[in-house]
Amino acid sequence: MDITLFLQQFLNGLSIGSIYAIFALGYTLIFSILGIINFAHGALFTLGAYFTYALMGGTFGFNGLFANASLPIKLPFALALILGSTLAGLVGVGIERVAFRPLRRKGSDPLLTVVSSLGVALVIVNLIQYLVGAESYSFPANTYGNLPPSINFGTGENPIPIRSVQIVIFSVCVIILAILTYCINRTKFGKAMKAVAEDPITASLLGINTDFFIVLTFFVSSFLAGLAGTLVGSSVSIAGPYLGIAFGLKGLAVIVLGGLGSIPGAVLGGLAIGLVEAFVPSDYSAYKDAFAFGILFIMLIVRPQGLLGRRLIQKV
Amino acid sequence: MSDFLNTYGSLIVSMVLGALLGLSLYLPLMTGQLSLASPGFYALGGYIAAILSTQVFRVSGGLFPIPLLLLEMLVAGIVSGILGVMVGIPALRLRGIYLAIATIAFVEVLRVLSLNLDITGGAVGIFGIPQPFQTPIEYLWIAFPLLIISMVLLYRLERIRAGRAFTAIREDELAAGAMGINPTYYKVLAFTLGAILAGIAGAVSAHFLNTWNARQGTFDASIVYLTSVLIGGTRTFVGPVLGGMVFTALPEILRGIADTSGLPTWLAGFLRDGRLIIFGFLIVVGTIFFPQGLVTPELFKRKMKNKA
Repeated sequence: MDITLFLQQFLNGLSIGSIYAIFALGYTLIFSILGIINFAHGALFTLGAYFTYALMGGTFGFNGLFANASLPIKLPFALALILGSTLAGLVGVGIERVAFRPLRRKGSDPLLTVVSSLGVALVIVNLIQYLVGAESYSFPANTYGNLPPSINFGTGENPIPIRSVQIVIFSVCVIILAILTYCINRTKFGKAMKAVAEDPITASLLGINTDFFIVLTFFVSSFLAGLAGTLVGSSVSIAGPYLGIAFGLKGLAVIVLGGLGSIPGAVLGGLAIGLVEAFVPSDYSAYKDAFAFGILFIMLIVRPQGLLGRRLIQKV
Repeated sequence: MSDFLNTYGSLIVSMVLGALLGLSLYLPLMTGQLSLASPGFYALGGYIAAILSTQVFRVSGGLFPIPLLLLEMLVAGIVSGILGVMVGIPALRLRGIYLAIATIAFVEVLRVLSLNLDITGGAVGIFGIPQPFQTPIEYLWIAFPLLIISMVLLYRLERIRAGRAFTAIREDELAAGAMGINPTYYKVLAFTLGAILAGIAGAVSAHFLNTWNARQGTFDASIVYLTSVLIGGTRTFVGPVLGGMVFTALPEILRGIADTSGLPTWLAGFLRDGRLIIFGFLIVVGTIFFPQGLVTPELFKRKMKNKA
């Protein structure tokens, strides 16, 4: 493998890995607070991509209930990205209200909550299919403004071309991660959130409104899912309503690898899986997904707490 | 009667197969383990039958001999069982959500492999699987006894030492362990029994459907079977049987309702195409309002009392 190809693959891995990281962070945030996986996370990923696409004035296909319809507005990408992700965040808050809170109030088995989030995922994905069809959508050509398709790096005879979309994605992810890390570690909100994650009952005794922070976590988590969905959709295309299911399963591999509930773990896991996938030899690229899930299975058996997770303590 | 059987024959057989799959998911749940591995073993059993019948036992012309079908079911059951033990022993050290994730990963690895291997026919799958019967309804000769045998065995299982151990582990694994029950042994046993049943059901399904491909054992399928078990009931084997049947028939029932005249077009369209939306909705409502499913052991007890 020559150095050009190596660097290109490395950057491919870094950009997809940073999207995995953003996506998996949302999973992990909810896990750290409630101790359950929100299986609707992948559906929110898809929803974010569709929201942004619609806000940019995209036209839907001919298969769904809203065949060939489009919104009367045409927002620029940056604004649509934020609004679309916010809408996904609000849907996440709704999901918490409908599928998580009633079960939490009843003190049900956490596995039932996992199952009810599976139900929500099924509703969202099939609702999308029913309303706007199962087609793939491509973001408009001028999504990223007047950026050239690729930028050459390095000097001399062999400059290395890198897709500018990937640079944008990578930068957005780094910025989001920086903001999030700052908020969680340095602000009062973040500290309260960590307190709720540590022990919800004690936190509420100390005057922290637990329900509010759970809702906030769902919003942030779903916002990140929507953002990740839009970034993937804009760099490749929105490959139909089931896009998020595959991504959601991959996200599981990421957080298990990094350690369930660990924020740096999600970032490390995301980058690791992204890079592994980028460097799977092209002869075996069809088995790319099997690699990720193989790693996941082995990791669960060898070290279930993941690379950076805390030891699993069995509560008696 | 023969008209009825011609129209609904394949639906009736699908319902019986759905009930078998419900039972295969119920077995690990008896020990309180949420495993989503059943569709993987189901797909595996189907591939075994499909490969054996199209490449190994080449039968030229006429019907596929029933003894060979039974042999395939046996092979599918044994292979699924062995794989079940191999996956179960490491995976069942995990609890709760970790086990669910591990079984999802297992099913995904199987799916990717079947999509890419030559022997499984890649994305196209295997088609032209020979038929042992003239009409779909005759598959009941295989499927119905299989269901009855499974139900009788489960009825017995719930009343012998192993079944009581399952329940003890479900209620409190640590306490069960302290009582001298080996949790790992019984959890692997329940998981493997479920795997064997799913593999056998897959072998019958492959012949019944005539084609077999990677779409047979997907994450979506896991959720639909899981729904049927949860809505049916997770505390007695009658629940998954009823749930499996009802949920297999539900799309047809919805289509039937949609076809009745006088419905507004949007509602008819929704009933026809929105099947999985309704499934998802039922899962959410079911987990909140019927955490133990519709058929619970208490239901039977109450009936008994009323009679007495």
